[in-house]
Amino acid sequence: MRRHRKPINLPRIGIAVVALGAAGLLYAFPLYWLVVTSLKSKGELFASSVHLLPHNPTLAAYSSVLIDRGFLVLLKNSVIVCLSTVVVTLVLGLLITYPITRLQVPVSLRVNILTWALSLRFLPPIAVVIPYFAIVRTLQIYDQPIALIGIYSLFNLPFAIWMLKGFLAEIPLELEEAAMVDGANRWTAFWQVLLPLAAPGVMAAGIIVFTFAWSEFLFALILTATPNSQTFPVGVQGLVTQFEIIWNDMAAAGVIAMALPLILMVIGRNYIVAGLTFGVIRDK
Amino acid sequence: MVKAGRRRLSRQERLAYLILLPALGTVFAIVTIPFILVIQQSLSSDDGTLIGLRNYARALGNPQLYDALHATGVYTLIVLPIEIVLGLTFALLVHRTVRRPGLRAAIYVLAILPLVVPPVAIGVVARLIYAPSYGVLNVILERLGLIHQEINWLGNPTLAMISVASVDIWQWTPFVYLVMFSGLQTVPRESVEAAQIDGVTWWTQFRYIELFYLRPLFILILFFRLADVLRVFDHIFILTGGGPGTTTQLLSLYLYRIEFKFFDTGQAAALAVVVLVSISIIYTVIARFLPLERA
Repeated sequence: MRRHRKPINLPRIGIAVVALGAAGLLYAFPLYWLVVTSLKSKGELFASSVHLLPHNPTLAAYSSVLIDRGFLVLLKNSVIVCLSTVVVTLVLGLLITYPITRLQVPVSLRVNILTWALSLRFLPPIAVVIPYFAIVRTLQIYDQPIALIGIYSLFNLPFAIWMLKGFLAEIPLELEEAAMVDGANRWTAFWQVLLPLAAPGVMAAGIIVFTFAWSEFLFALILTATPNSQTFPVGVQGLVTQFEIIWNDMAAAGVIAMALPLILMVIGRNYIVAGLTFGVIRDK
Repeated sequence: MVKAGRRRLSRQERLAYLILLPALGTVFAIVTIPFILVIQQSLSSDDGTLIGLRNYARALGNPQLYDALHATGVYTLIVLPIEIVLGLTFALLVHRTVRRPGLRAAIYVLAILPLVVPPVAIGVVARLIYAPSYGVLNVILERLGLIHQEINWLGNPTLAMISVASVDIWQWTPFVYLVMFSGLQTVPRESVEAAQIDGVTWWTQFRYIELFYLRPLFILILFFRLADVLRVFDHIFILTGGGPGTTTQLLSLYLYRIEFKFFDTGQAAALAVVVLVSISIIYTVIARFLPLERA
């Protein structure tokens, strides 16, 4: 029997098309305008009339930002800081979630650790950075990437713990037990059985931590001073708050800043909502 | 057998503590040392002598603090209701009208993209739109014939607040949409179909069936959005820097200014302690209602 089909509700579909179209325009236009502005030449910036369509597009602003202004170094700093943050966060996250999901521990321990991790999510960075700034100066790591890596790892740990806990809990205990019955020790069972199975989840957690660290601005603004450790968002900020804004350079820097997270998110798309909601929203 | 089983159990537990202690200890130390330090800072003058609660008196006596709290409150009251209403409306709209899985998946991908754009980059985009003399919004409004004189979006207190709020709404409405949409997928089809046979209206179906399943998600959204609104900094710093005057100077920007522009560590530390204590109270109240799987 054919499934009963509801009659098509034309007015409702009309509303949906208009609403989704309007939303699409509100999201697409700002991004379009960012890209168009980044493709303008210096001369066009001072033209009396603004063209809404690209007019003699050029990549001059990109080379101006990356080469002339030396932002390539900031990109390199960002990559180093973000990758290190991912490694530290995932190692700490696995060290904390492995025992509470794979070993028999009291339920209260599990609940307490997860609740504590959740409370860190509510920690306001500006309140933490005031004492952390003093600590960083005392340890003489001001303007060094390690100062950022430490605090980024701390602030991303709650996401990592909750995501990893979700992924590890889904893998049957029997698989490791079988390996251990066959003579593997716990480390081998973890490294050769559990980790390969959990790899997609661990990767997803890594991608999300990377994009958060990539976007971070407040700590980077406060804890860095020179291109020795400044990350890309700090450079972008420098272009915006200077006396005379060079619009095409600023727009090009904006495009570069958002390119990597957008690409990564297309890869990690199935996990981002689970990550942001601490696993409450599971399905895609 | 029983004995052996129990021994294995305790060995597992010992291993668990062996792994957990150093990891948690490190994290705990990294979290706790700043807490202790900030309390000490808040009780000291610049040269390090203890001066009791004088910093707190100065912090709480500063009228600018109340301006910042007011701005934070206004921002929250603009942003949260609009995001929730818009996100929920779109979730219902797509849930009821878009049937094709491919289209749904495409909307999903488009909705997650704004969430990962760095707020600094969104601040840049907003500058290009609202900036005086170069902003494209005025250009478009003029070409459409809606205005004849440039509107100073970032120079007028009310418009500046609307401008910074619009950035937040742009970035986070999709989050509300995603949470609500996936919540709608959990509504059992039978109860909806039964209601439809009874011929209920669009509104009744939402009010009496779907809303029931979405209720825990409202708390979830409130929790995460509140946590984020209290730490909003980046896009406002880029767009208005807290201005004009101090009208868009939210709490984070205010603390930043006290510490890193006025270098008044005592007052900033006192404020930080007050903020941390208030936020732990808010957290404790909300967290127990969260629909999280803790066990």
